[in-house]
Amino acid sequence: MTATPDQQLHRPPHPPPHPPPRRPRRGRGKLTSDTRAAYMFMTPALVGFTVFVVYPLIRSAYFSLTQYNGLTTPTFVGLDNFRRMFTTDPSFWPSVRATLLLVVLYVPLSLVIGLLLAVFCNRRIRGVRMVRTLIYLPVVLPVVATITLWKFVFNPQVGLANQVLSWLHLPTSEWLSGSSSAIPSIVIVMLWSVGSTMIIFLAALQAVPTELYDAARIDGAGPRTVFFRITLPLISPIMVLQVVLQLVTALQTFNQPKILSPDGQGGPGFSTRVLMLSIYNHGFPTLGRVAEFGYASAQVWVLFLVIVVVIAATARFSSIWTYSDHAS
Amino acid sequence: MTTHPDVATAAEPVPSPQPAPATSVPRPPRRTVRTASWYAVALLISSVMVLPILWMLTIALKGHSAVFQVPPRLLPDEFHFENFIDGPKAIHFPRLLLNSLVITSLSVMGGVMTSMMAGYALSRLRFPGRKVWFYVFVGSMMLPPVVGIIPLFQLFKDIGWYDTWLPLIVPAWLGGNPLFIFLARQYFLSVPYSIDEAAKVDGAGHVRIFFSVMLPITRPAWITMAILAFQFSWNDYLNPLIYLYSSEKWPLSVGMASFVSGFAGQTPDWNFYMAANLLYMLPPLAVFFVAQRYFIQGLSALGTVNQR
Repeated sequence: MTATPDQQLHRPPHPPPHPPPRRPRRGRGKLTSDTRAAYMFMTPALVGFTVFVVYPLIRSAYFSLTQYNGLTTPTFVGLDNFRRMFTTDPSFWPSVRATLLLVVLYVPLSLVIGLLLAVFCNRRIRGVRMVRTLIYLPVVLPVVATITLWKFVFNPQVGLANQVLSWLHLPTSEWLSGSSSAIPSIVIVMLWSVGSTMIIFLAALQAVPTELYDAARIDGAGPRTVFFRITLPLISPIMVLQVVLQLVTALQTFNQPKILSPDGQGGPGFSTRVLMLSIYNHGFPTLGRVAEFGYASAQVWVLFLVIVVVIAATARFSSIWTYSDHAS
Repeated sequence: MTTHPDVATAAEPVPSPQPAPATSVPRPPRRTVRTASWYAVALLISSVMVLPILWMLTIALKGHSAVFQVPPRLLPDEFHFENFIDGPKAIHFPRLLLNSLVITSLSVMGGVMTSMMAGYALSRLRFPGRKVWFYVFVGSMMLPPVVGIIPLFQLFKDIGWYDTWLPLIVPAWLGGNPLFIFLARQYFLSVPYSIDEAAKVDGAGHVRIFFSVMLPITRPAWITMAILAFQFSWNDYLNPLIYLYSSEKWPLSVGMASFVSGFAGQTPDWNFYMAANLLYMLPPLAVFFVAQRYFIQGLSALGTVNQR
């Protein structure tokens, strides 16, 4: 058990509200007034669920097996889209590579930096709230505004990034216009918003009961032991959740590559054409090209299955990774 | 994680009401060194976070030629405050702003209202299937939005909503965000049932209870949601990019991005652009500082959502 969201939402810990008296369950004959009211209140959400969750899921699965440009009727082509993806499309594997590189760089870095910052900010010291606010600041700013700002920061000639490097007498970089430095640059932009990760870790850290720390100190444990033996196990459920969230977010990165790549298509070359951008480019092509809803949907399903596998794998292993205080 | 009696106060995130009296304990000198090094690191971190924004501010104040000076200079020679007038004008900022305001306020209202309604049903009404629907809604939080892109585009196009704001607003009115339904339900669960019972005795129906009793009590919950919904909508880039063809209907996100990603066909005057970009940042910043307490609570609630 742990802090539930109501407690996060500033509520005093109420005793669990006593449930209303149970009604006999098999009241099949007529709807109770509660049932009618409940479905009335849920109507918008139920319509939304059908239209925005169930329908797209079925429809995009169907599209993925067709050739379809969004105008004529879809023609069924079986697994042709997938065959094309894995064998003939020259941009698919590069886009997988770009996606993986981004995930591999971003996810561990954001978790480690976020946790370090949370530990750093989990102190009672004058000014700590100011520091927290400043770290969190980039998260508050509109994504597009920060991305465009960084596009200028990374300008090789007049940008701040190379200027700072040259002040420090370090070699400068091509940043976004170099095919090997483009993804790392995007990761830097994303890491600037690490405050969102930090804030969640900070909440977790503050939920660790202080007696445990006191007890450990009395037993003579050093700060490192305390961190690895007490703090980390206790926040491990949050850690797992964060791994999943960050993986899912990183796999669906779109805005940064779209806005930051010099051609808006994931360039230079295919270096920043992550899967989401590839889906976008095929599904919603720029002037003069034909939309390929079928092929784009097939890529959607590849990405979706990867996400499902990631979530399932994490859920499967989380029982091993996380500490639980329920005596087994 | 463990249950702990003061978990509520301990988990109450960042801006705790009373800052700890850090100075009340006399410190041995070793501590002073540690404190000093903490401040040094804090300064370094803060400057990484703030430097790009400050630099942006100086660009916004520079003249046209100073922006492209090589090597770049941090401070402008002369301050061009008029950039904050001319810049927004040059990129049609007022129109983009108005579009953003309309889209965002409508989708915030819809998202908050319909999520609160669903949360009310799931938490305070007893009916067969309420567990099932709860899991269905929570489960749909896991579905990545990418799955919906193409079928929904097709659907909205078929019913003639392409190049209108409807695809950006109507979904919010249909349950909005499953996360909000979840938050609403969790919050409603913490309200004592005796309140509904009292209202029922007084002859109030569910609609009355919801609007006149529950909404006032649950203000912190829906303020959090409203702030989050504002953020999501103000920041949303992909959806308006897909659905809005005419540039006069664009919200700020697409409009601002178009000036740098080249598909508007021209390179912007960066000083003009940065001045407008600062204005684009202002509303969320203002919301953040005014509602900081709720905001960070809402986000940390996100972080603890799946813990049990």
